[in-house]
Amino acid sequence: MEHGILDIGPGQLALALVFILAAGATSLYHGLKLERDLLVGALRTFVQLFLLGYILRFIFHLNSVWLVLVVFIFMIVFAARIIRARVKEKQVSFFWPILISMVISYSLVSILVTGVVVGAKPWWKPQYFIPLAGMLIGNSMNAMAISLDRLLGELRRRRHEVEMMLCLGADYQEASKDMVRTAMRAGMIPSINSMMAAGVVFIPGMMTGQILAGADPVLAIRYQIVVMIMLVGSTAIVSLLAVLLVRRLCFGLGHQLLLRPENK
Amino acid sequence: MAATSIIDFCRVSFGFSVEAPLFTGLTLTIREGGFYLVQGPSGAGKSTFLRLINRLEEPSSGEILFKGRPLSSYSPPLLRRSVLYVQQTPTVIDASVRENLLLPFSFKNNAHLEQPEDERLKTLLTDFLLLGVGLGDNALTLSLGQLQRLCFVRGLMLSPDVLLLDEPTSALDRESGQVVESMVERLNRESGLTVLTVTHKEPRPDLITPRILKITEGRITKVRWNMES
Repeated sequence: MEHGILDIGPGQLALALVFILAAGATSLYHGLKLERDLLVGALRTFVQLFLLGYILRFIFHLNSVWLVLVVFIFMIVFAARIIRARVKEKQVSFFWPILISMVISYSLVSILVTGVVVGAKPWWKPQYFIPLAGMLIGNSMNAMAISLDRLLGELRRRRHEVEMMLCLGADYQEASKDMVRTAMRAGMIPSINSMMAAGVVFIPGMMTGQILAGADPVLAIRYQIVVMIMLVGSTAIVSLLAVLLVRRLCFGLGHQLLLRPENK
Repeated sequence: MAATSIIDFCRVSFGFSVEAPLFTGLTLTIREGGFYLVQGPSGAGKSTFLRLINRLEEPSSGEILFKGRPLSSYSPPLLRRSVLYVQQTPTVIDASVRENLLLPFSFKNNAHLEQPEDERLKTLLTDFLLLGVGLGDNALTLSLGQLQRLCFVRGLMLSPDVLLLDEPTSALDRESGQVVESMVERLNRESGLTVLTVTHKEPRPDLITPRILKITEGRITKVRWNMES
């Protein structure tokens, strides 16, 4: 793996700070009041990524399936918390539904991709499993948040329509079919768009990384294709599961809509 | 008049928040074939009272019976088809009048019901003075008063046992309002349909003797209801 990868020494790393300093100077000059955030952001990037580097080195070194799984679960729980914070909803608690849908769909897709498509052996080989799972979780988090936000919003906004159908003998699935469809589409469109634009509008991040690290672009492309397809697939599965589970929570045992209009 | 009850409230309590209960320990009986006018000041819980009967709201305690059995023992879609609630805001989907009228027949719980032909639909529209309305027109182009009648017709096609009407004639002019009211009265008289209707209007009981359910709200909400016949 040593072909042509250029080392970045501490001095060069410090040189990169020049850009942040320039941004800070601009902020001061124009009174943007961003210098504090810039400083904190830069520091966090340094600390968090260095920490990640050492942790990954440690995990790769230990090469234990349990540790890989712990990291996997940790990432999922963290993502579920971020989604919960992002979707502002007081009435329905959806932490568990999203956690469950994430565990199910990410396990399925990650194992399939690392074990079968990439053919890593064992399937949990940390060098493959952790970065791929990370990308999966990071990317579909957005889609889940958008879908759930949209679902709850649509059910509230169109509650008269939902109740009209319920009153005419629809079950809760029938009464909310259209809202589920809208929510799923809203969540999926960014992923589908990025498939459309891949390679034309932008060079995907993972591929960029591999090429910078000296890999053959054609090999990098194969990885990237697998990753993009995997992302779209898992995004669809995880959003659908989460949307269906959360929808169930929006209705009572008597198939009545529990969501109340929000108090302003 | 047969004295059988069709709906019973047994010590039913309900509130949107714990601090402000709307009903506490409400007990009352609705008789089969009765015609009830639900009255009370705005915000007293008239709509909520109707919504409790078709399980759009769930009591926080107590039980509601339909034909002697708790509401929870019925499949919710089937219950709602027998205890039909017509919403205060007439709601349609963005589709033709025909599709809106046939919407209930697209649900799987209603799949066994026979879907009415266009001829029948046209007759119904005419009966309710929806003369200029074509089956192919988009329902969203209708006026509020027309929508109210459309939604009413749509509900009636499911032949319910109990009809819960939430201000069914609020947007109707005198003539169309009377058409709806007399249709409700006729169904009550001839088919024994139990009717509960929320209305601000004074009853004009020509052929039926309505009973009045008066819902009044105090600080600690208590429901008083008096039957006058």
